[in-house]
Order: sequence, then C-alpha cells, then structure tokens
Amino acid sequence: MQQSKPKKKYDAKACFFRIISSTVLWSTLLLSAHSNALPKAEDIKQFTLDNGMKIIVLEDDSIPNANMYLFWKVGSRNEYPGITGLSHFFEHMMFNGSKKYGPKMFDRTMEAAGGSNNAYTTENSTVYTDWFPADALELMFDLEADRIQNLDINPDVVESERGVVTSERSTGLENSNYRMLSEQVKAAAFRAHPYSWSVIGHESDIANWNLQDLKDYHKTYYAPNNAIVVVAGAIKFDDVKRLAKEYFEPIPAQAAPREVHTVEPVQTGERRVYVQKESVTSPNVMLAYHVPETKHEDYYALQVLAGILSDGDTSRLTKALVYEQQLAAQVFAFSSESIDPNLFYFYAVAAPNVDASALEKGLIAEINKVIKNGVTDSELQKVKNRQLVNFYREMSTINGKANTVGTYEFYFGDYKALFSLPESLNNVSKEDVQRVANQYLRKANRTVGVLAAEEDSNENDL
Amino acid sequence: MKTIFNKLLVSVVSTVLISVTSSASAADFTLPKYEKMVLENGLTIYLMQQDEVPLIDVVAIVKAGAVSDTKAGLAQVTASNLLLGTKSLGRQAFQEKLDFIGAQTSSSAALEYSVLSASLASKDIDTVLPILRDALLNPAFDQVEFEQQKSRYLADLERQKESPRAKIGSFYNALLYGDHAYANSVSGTVDSVQTIELDDVKTFHRQWFSPRNSAVIVTGDIDPKAMAKKLKALFGAWEGEKVVANVSSTLPVPKEAKVLLVNKSDATESTFLMGGPGIKRSNPDFVAVSVVNTILGGRFTSWLNDELRVNSGLTYGARSSFTSNKEGGSFVISTFTKTETTTDAIDLALKTYAKLWEQGIDAGTLDSAKAYVKGQFPPRYETSSDIAFLLAEMFVYDFDESFINTFTQQVNKLNVERSKDIIANYFPKQNMQFVIVGKAADIKESVKQYGKIIEVDIKDNSINLD
Repeated sequence: MQQSKPKKKYDAKACFFRIISSTVLWSTLLLSAHSNALPKAEDIKQFTLDNGMKIIVLEDDSIPNANMYLFWKVGSRNEYPGITGLSHFFEHMMFNGSKKYGPKMFDRTMEAAGGSNNAYTTENSTVYTDWFPADALELMFDLEADRIQNLDINPDVVESERGVVTSERSTGLENSNYRMLSEQVKAAAFRAHPYSWSVIGHESDIANWNLQDLKDYHKTYYAPNNAIVVVAGAIKFDDVKRLAKEYFEPIPAQAAPREVHTVEPVQTGERRVYVQKESVTSPNVMLAYHVPETKHEDYYALQVLAGILSDGDTSRLTKALVYEQQLAAQVFAFSSESIDPNLFYFYAVAAPNVDASALEKGLIAEINKVIKNGVTDSELQKVKNRQLVNFYREMSTINGKANTVGTYEFYFGDYKALFSLPESLNNVSKEDVQRVANQYLRKANRTVGVLAAEEDSNENDL
Repeated sequence: MKTIFNKLLVSVVSTVLISVTSSASAADFTLPKYEKMVLENGLTIYLMQQDEVPLIDVVAIVKAGAVSDTKAGLAQVTASNLLLGTKSLGRQAFQEKLDFIGAQTSSSAALEYSVLSASLASKDIDTVLPILRDALLNPAFDQVEFEQQKSRYLADLERQKESPRAKIGSFYNALLYGDHAYANSVSGTVDSVQTIELDDVKTFHRQWFSPRNSAVIVTGDIDPKAMAKKLKALFGAWEGEKVVANVSSTLPVPKEAKVLLVNKSDATESTFLMGGPGIKRSNPDFVAVSVVNTILGGRFTSWLNDELRVNSGLTYGARSSFTSNKEGGSFVISTFTKTETTTDAIDLALKTYAKLWEQGIDAGTLDSAKAYVKGQFPPRYETSSDIAFLLAEMFVYDFDESFINTFTQQVNKLNVERSKDIIANYFPKQNMQFVIVGKAADIKESVKQYGKIIEVDIKDNSINLD
C-alpha cells in the first residue's frame, strides 16, 4: 500500500534533483541518552549578522560534502489577485542572472565546481538549496550574495520562463488528480486569505505580471533581514562565520515587508466543489477543515490526530476504509506547517465501483468515531514511536539535518523547539486528541471536494 | 522522496537499484569496510556497520523478477503478497507489530530481482528480523488476503491510466525490447493480472525464492559479528537449489524508426520518450557513459535542458538517461510540452541530440561534467539504506566496491578523444524509437514523420503492439 503525502510545493528544477521531505517537522527526538551521533542542541551554533540575517551552522563530516539552505519568508500568502504565483515564479528568476554571474552562470559555475541546487516555494516560504563538495563553500557564498544583492532581471528571460512555469503548472494538473482537486478546494475554503490560491498561481497571472512586479518583489522580500540560512556538513563554524561576514553582511537590510493582516472569516456551513476530469478512473474525495497555525497550542494534538488517522497500515482510516470496508484504494490525512491558520486535509481515492458519496460517508464515520469515542493509549504510543524513528531517518543525512533545523527555526521562531519536541509530544493526552477532533472536524467547518470523470448533474437534467 | 519526473525516468525499469546513471565522488571517497559471507545453504550475507543514527536497514534480495513472469505482473504480485502475514502471524497482527514500532517495510519486484526491505530502530532488530524471515520464507499466502490485494492492485493499475508518466515506461520497454524478456512489464497489465491466481504466486515463490539465489544485507547500527550469528540461526535452515532466469544475452536492435502513439483523449500536453538500446550494468565504460550523458541530459545545465527549457521555454524539464540491466539496457531522452508544441519539442530534442556527433564535447564542458559527477557522488551513499541497496545491486549485477573506489579514477581518465568513442559506441543514432502519450487526434498527422506509427490507447487493458 503506497501512501504518500502530496507535495504542496513547487520546485524550480524538479527534474534533476533529489527532494527533501516536506514533512520534517513531525518527527521527534528521544531524550538523547543514546550513544549515536544524533545532533544535540549544543551541536548547533548560530549568529545574526548586522543586517539581520540569521545563520545556523551544523558541523558533520560523515561525507566530504556540505549544503546551504536559505529560507526566505515569502510565499503565496504574500501575494494578492493579479500576481498569484509570483513567489514561485520569482524563485525561478533567482537562477536567471545577476551582476557578477550573468544569465546561466549561476548554474554553470556551481555545477562546474561539483555542486547542484534546487529551490521550492510553499504557501509560506521560498527555500533555496545548494549541495556541494565542502571545499566549494566560499563559492556558494559568492554565488548567493550576488543574486541576493544584485539580481538582474532580463525581460527576455522573463518571457521564456513564463513558458517553463506554464508547463510546470499544466504537467502537474495533467499527472496529479490531487493537484487538480486541491486547487479548487482551497479556493472554496478560503474566500479572503491568500491561501485561497495555489502556490503555482492562476494561468492568466503567470501570463501577465510585469517586470516591475518582479523588481518590487525582490526588493521587498529578498532582504537579509527576511532570511534564515542553514549550513550543514563537513565545514567549520569559524569558516562559515568569516565568509558570512565577508559576503552576506554588506547586503543592506530593508524595511520589513508589510504584514499579511487578512484573517479568514469563520466558516459557518459546509462548502462543496465538484471537478470533472475525463480520465479519472475512480472518484477522488477531499475534505478540508480550518485549523489554527503551527504556533498555536493545538498544533501537537492535531499532528497526533493525523498520525492516528492515517500513518501506517494500521492507522484508523487505512485499516477501516482500505482493508475492512474496501471503500478506498488510498487514503491519508495531514496538516502542514503554516504561519497563518490553514487546513487539515483528508484525501481518499475510491475503490472500484465505490461512489464518491459512499467514500465521503466512510471518511466522516471514522472522524465521528474519534469525536465520540476518542483514541486509545496504544494508538497514542504508536504515533510517538513512529515519529521517533522518522526523526532518526531525517537525521541520517546532512540535508535532512539542514532542512529540519531550518524548518523549525522558520515555523517556531527557534530551532530549539526541535529539542523540546519529545516533551511537547508527551504532553498530548487522549483527551486532547478527542477535543481537537471535536472542535475542528465539524461539518460547518468543512469543505468537500469531489473529482470524477462524469459531468456533475442531476438525474433529471436534460 | 523522488520527484514525480524522476519516476517517469526510473519507471522504465522501475527500480531504485538500476537508477545509477550519473555518478561521482570526492577524491578520497571510498566504500567503508563491509563483510560478505556465504552460508552453507548458499545464501549470501552482507554486513556493514554504520552507526551514525540508531537505525538498521535490512534488504533481502532474490534474483527473480519480471523476466521470469509466466503471466505479466506475477513477480510484482508475489512480492506484494509477502507483506500480508506469515504462517505464524496473520496479516493484521503482522501489520500491527511493525507499525507500532515504526518499522517501515517494502516489497517489490523489478525486471531481474525481487526485494523485501525494512528500516527500523536498532533496538527493535530482534522483533523485526524473525518477522522478515517469515515474510520471505513462510508467507501466509491466504486466499482472502490474496483476493483483496489483487483487487487493490487492479485498481492501482486502472489509476495509472490517468497519468502519462506512470504508463510511458512500460510502453517504451515493449517497443524497444520486442520479444526479449526485458520487454516484460514489471507491473503487469489489467488483463494479465486478472488471470493471476494464488497458485501462480505460490509456484513462483517456490520456484525462485531459494538461498542460492538470494542475499540478505544488514547495514547500520549493528555489531557485524553478532548479526552474522543471528542471520545464520534464522536463515541457515532455508533450503533450495540454484535457479537461473533464462534471459537471452542477445538484445534486439531496432530495424526501423517507430512511433508508438498512446492516445489520452483529455491530454493537454504530450509526454514523450525517444531513444534506443543502452548498455549492460557491467559494461566497463559504464562510468564514462554516465559522464557523457551528464552533458547531454543529466543535469540542469545539460544541453537538452538548456535548449528545451532555458532557451525556449517549451517545457519544465528535459533530460536523458541510461537504464542498465544485466544483459543490456536502454537509453532515453524524455520531456513533455503542451499539445500545440509537440513537434517543436521533438525536433529541438533531436537537433540537440545530434550535436553529440556534429559538434562533439569540448574540454571545458567535459571538465565541468567530471567535477559535477564527482561532487555529487558521496551523498548517494550517505545512509545505511543507500549502502544496503548498493550492496544488493552488486549482488544482482556482479560488480564490486571497485565501482565506488575507482570511480574518481575512471572519471578522471575520460578525455575529449575518448568521449568521441563513447558517443560512437553507446549512443543510439539510427532508428530511434518514440513513445508519445498525448491527444492522438491532434498530433497524429504531425508525428508520423518520425517513423512507422503504431497506435494504442492509455486506457487499453493490455499492451499489444502488433
């Protein structure tokens, strides 16, 4: 049984590079008595440059390589109608030439030095990733500093990049039912907040934003005071600090970007969307419920709830809907890290000859069981056990380490939250899980999406 | 997690093991010491200690894959049935035990092997190993579980018809390999899987799952001596003869250019592969070929991606890759573009490919590619799981750690002169084979120019190219 969370992010170069997990946050660290080389809070060092850029360093010489992750606090939540998708498009433009390294030279220079790179954009963030032999560290600083400070946006390149991003958008819709349906569900669930549109944006916006939009975006958001940088691998803290001061510190800080102040009004009744796609072989159903942001105290209980519902073959939904009732071929539930309140998703693909409404009822019945009867001690323990092993998996590569540490810093405001996670997790009780299910997974707070091959119609339609 | 686009390329032979295409190493990168032994019953054991994190990876690999299918998909269906309980532990109890401790298991088949693997916390090894042993040797093969799994699997096959990327690889193999066993579809088709019964699975398992045909690999946070003892105790009594798959070492060579047009009536873009024969995994020029391919289509600044994506905006990505099996392999260029620009993209891909012969590779580009493959090499073997699968690949394809340890040397000795030989010897120039998945009504007339056309539909329940 393959179950994977769909990626809610878009990569600049998905075709060439391995992808880091998008679910790093939800793993936990055991009270670190183990003898292995797992990182501890004191193994991580940080400093902040005069211009406000924060740098986090993790030394690890298990392979002769290193990486640099740059987390920028800009994503589709910073957009507005007319420039939807601009954050992601901008991510592409960051590879297209600056003062010292002109068009194509960023990639050519990096690859010739044995490095590779990628980037991804989410609703909340834009993250750039460089993977390189450790001795190429200084070059990475030079390349990054150049494009952060002196990006040179060429109008011709903007035009060809529109084609690239349009292709990226359509190939996603062509090959992924999830992407097709979630775009519509988000649009219904949010009517005010910018989470309403997909990260890739509307096709007509991709075709029409202009050079000035891009220039404004760069000046506003690509300021050192709006970034977190993580360097991990076979490098020395002192070298990173010296190079950061030399290359990054001279980049001037900018005024803080305007706050995203829009609050999504409370939803007071179920919303429904239907999407028709001829090639769909069995209906897909999505349920989306509004839930609070990652910094909210209910975050951990909601994550435990998602784990109990859909992590593993013996999770509630898989056990009931796939194995016992055979209503679903695939099912999962998740809620991603988020700066503002966002959605808790359920996604299921119907088994052969099962219709969308039977599948929807089956999903809701399992949700209601949690609301009515709660969860068991054993289920709670299982989720904690699984997250611990997942954490080990994240920590087995320098990329996992850099991405996890950076993501914690980004969403919790302090990477040390990673190390207090066992405690946060142990504080979640069965009652908490039942309470959040009851509080958030209610009909009035729900948007239902159905994707199917047939036209949406009434039996008596002519 | 692999990207979706990677899946398209890897699905040509759908395995992690054979996806070593472009590789590299920092100067001092060598494979850490590992132990290899053969038990009296013929079972090969590989052990490597790597205790950076408290995890253990177990990989059991059997030299039996889709090349031995009597019904398309049989090896894959057999592999799936290994995780549905054992003779002593029903399916539900089996899943509960492993789920509770966060042990991840996976079982699948490829063309030339089947593989059962687990990733677990090292403290749980004594719980998990006996269960894995039973999954491999004493699976439940329960009729009800078999039927339900088959129904889920058939639904998966139906769903694959929704995605050009999910399907295009098996069409390409069918076109390129013709009557050869490498044309066998690992996943099978709706029609073939419908005919698979539990007895077929039992027969396949009995016939092929033999210690003389298999290796058990344990890497990670282990004490190799103690682990060797445990494995002997668990697997020492396994009995079976050596069985060798009958795979012809003569691979078909395409006699004419062909275009397999796969209709997907609601497609808004065309997804295509074009290529021809590749090389076997044990080819001594394997590393050199991968360096040249890096220049053509194995990295972001490669010629194909530069032309089709960066310069023209026709696509989100274009690349090329070699997929290598024991007796031979394939080469493909792959990309996608909106329906209206199908031939623009194909023409540009062909024109770019022709540069290999017309223009050749210059010293600067070659140096860059050599640095790139070396620099990107170590992270590929960073975790105990990476190492376990590397050892499994060595077992199946008969190569050893010199691949890792001489990698830098092999890359370094490639020069411009030799790159010409590599291109002449290994990159298919004549009679290209095309698979295009798209809206046939809109593109049929214009793609006829590339070769003899064969038409099928993505919704077909079998692959029939006659």
